[in-house]
Amino acid sequence: MALIEIRELEKRFNDQRVLAGVNLDVEAGEIKVVMGPSGCGKSTLLRCLNRLVDPTSGTIHFDGQEVTGPMVDVRLLRQKIGFVFQQFALYRHLSVLDNVTLGLRKLQKLRKPDAEEKAMAQLERLGMAAHKDKFPAQISGGQKQRVALARALAMDPAMIVLDEPTSALDPVMCREVGELIRQLNSEGVTMLCVTHDIDLAQAISEKAVFLNQGVVSAEATFAALANHDHEATRTFFNRTKA
Amino acid sequence: MVNGWMAFSRDLQEQLPLVLNGLIETLNLTVAISISGLLLGVVVFYLSTCRSALIRQVTKGYISFFIGMPLIVLLFLIYYGLPQWGVRMSPFTVAFIGFTLNVAAYNAAYLTTAFNGMDATELEAAHAQGFSDGQVFRYITLPQVLRLSVPALTNQVIGNLKDSSVAFLIQYTEFFARVQELAATNFQFFKAYLFAALVYLAIVSLIVVIARMIEKRICIIG
Repeated sequence: MALIEIRELEKRFNDQRVLAGVNLDVEAGEIKVVMGPSGCGKSTLLRCLNRLVDPTSGTIHFDGQEVTGPMVDVRLLRQKIGFVFQQFALYRHLSVLDNVTLGLRKLQKLRKPDAEEKAMAQLERLGMAAHKDKFPAQISGGQKQRVALARALAMDPAMIVLDEPTSALDPVMCREVGELIRQLNSEGVTMLCVTHDIDLAQAISEKAVFLNQGVVSAEATFAALANHDHEATRTFFNRTKA
Repeated sequence: MVNGWMAFSRDLQEQLPLVLNGLIETLNLTVAISISGLLLGVVVFYLSTCRSALIRQVTKGYISFFIGMPLIVLLFLIYYGLPQWGVRMSPFTVAFIGFTLNVAAYNAAYLTTAFNGMDATELEAAHAQGFSDGQVFRYITLPQVLRLSVPALTNQVIGNLKDSSVAFLIQYTEFFARVQELAATNFQFFKAYLFAALVYLAIVSLIVVIARMIEKRICIIG
């Protein structure tokens, strides 16, 4: 059974059908890349997983448990899914170290020394230990995304979800974050990444899921997607034509 | 002219205990309403970020009402109006309640302004980590808006000090009331009020210095 099983997921905002019956599986240990044009519902899909957005209909099973019902402990669910944002979303009034320890201390109720030890282990893993006392405004975009990853990983989540992790970064930093994602996945971290950055997608995965107009219209290797029967898919992935 | 100054300083010395007493009363009221106004302001601000539309509307109404209502009217209403309904309170209590309601509305408005400038994705990130609404407010929202609002909040403290002189109109014998008495004994109005002005300026300067120190200590780097 897949770690995440999404079936016929639908989300409407008023009259707009942002997700129109999405089916998607994420296996434990894999890295799944979801691509699609702006406004295709990628971010909404991710936000449905941890109930930042409540889906209109359909089901999501996370680790075998239905998570869309009213009886679900949403806060516990959220702690199991590490979320990394496009704009990094570090807490600007806290140092790098405090950004990582806040959740450990207040949600996992660790004592301060234990939380700091755990946080430092993650910051070291991501090469940010030397910057632990700096504030978000004092580090580069790539470094911020490393801290955001460390913050997510420190909570021992079942998976990491990345929402356009490189779209606010320059090409060098994009590659840096891409390598990092691959490294973490090779260490066994399950990841679901939505992006429209095709360089990032190809750097971290052989395959991609194409989300278009609220449905998964294809899931295949990049070569196959570039020669797909469906025109919108072909146009999106065929870089030589564009 | 020289005689006038001598007479004034002699009367000032004579009444110094009363004047100092008034100054202490002024500082008492200022400190009390600055603290209570900040605390109630935080509560009002918290309610204004609440998920319930009804609570948000009510707090908006509160802020508009007390910002719109002249302080003196509010104080007279409580001090001279309420006794008709059998509610009698000391001048200090009336001033404390009236000022607190008023100052809290202003402070809540400052905090709201800072809140509107916050990065919404930080709040979303905190919810995504699993923090409750209350935890997000306590650990993310409040520390940030308080720091961003230090200049506005300290201006409010300065305003509180200056406005506290209004309380003499409801029989609260604070500093300005004592200076009035002093002026009435020797008719040296210019000297007495100049003296009052200098004292207020000195205290305001002190508040400004302290405020700058606080700002430097807790400002958000960036």
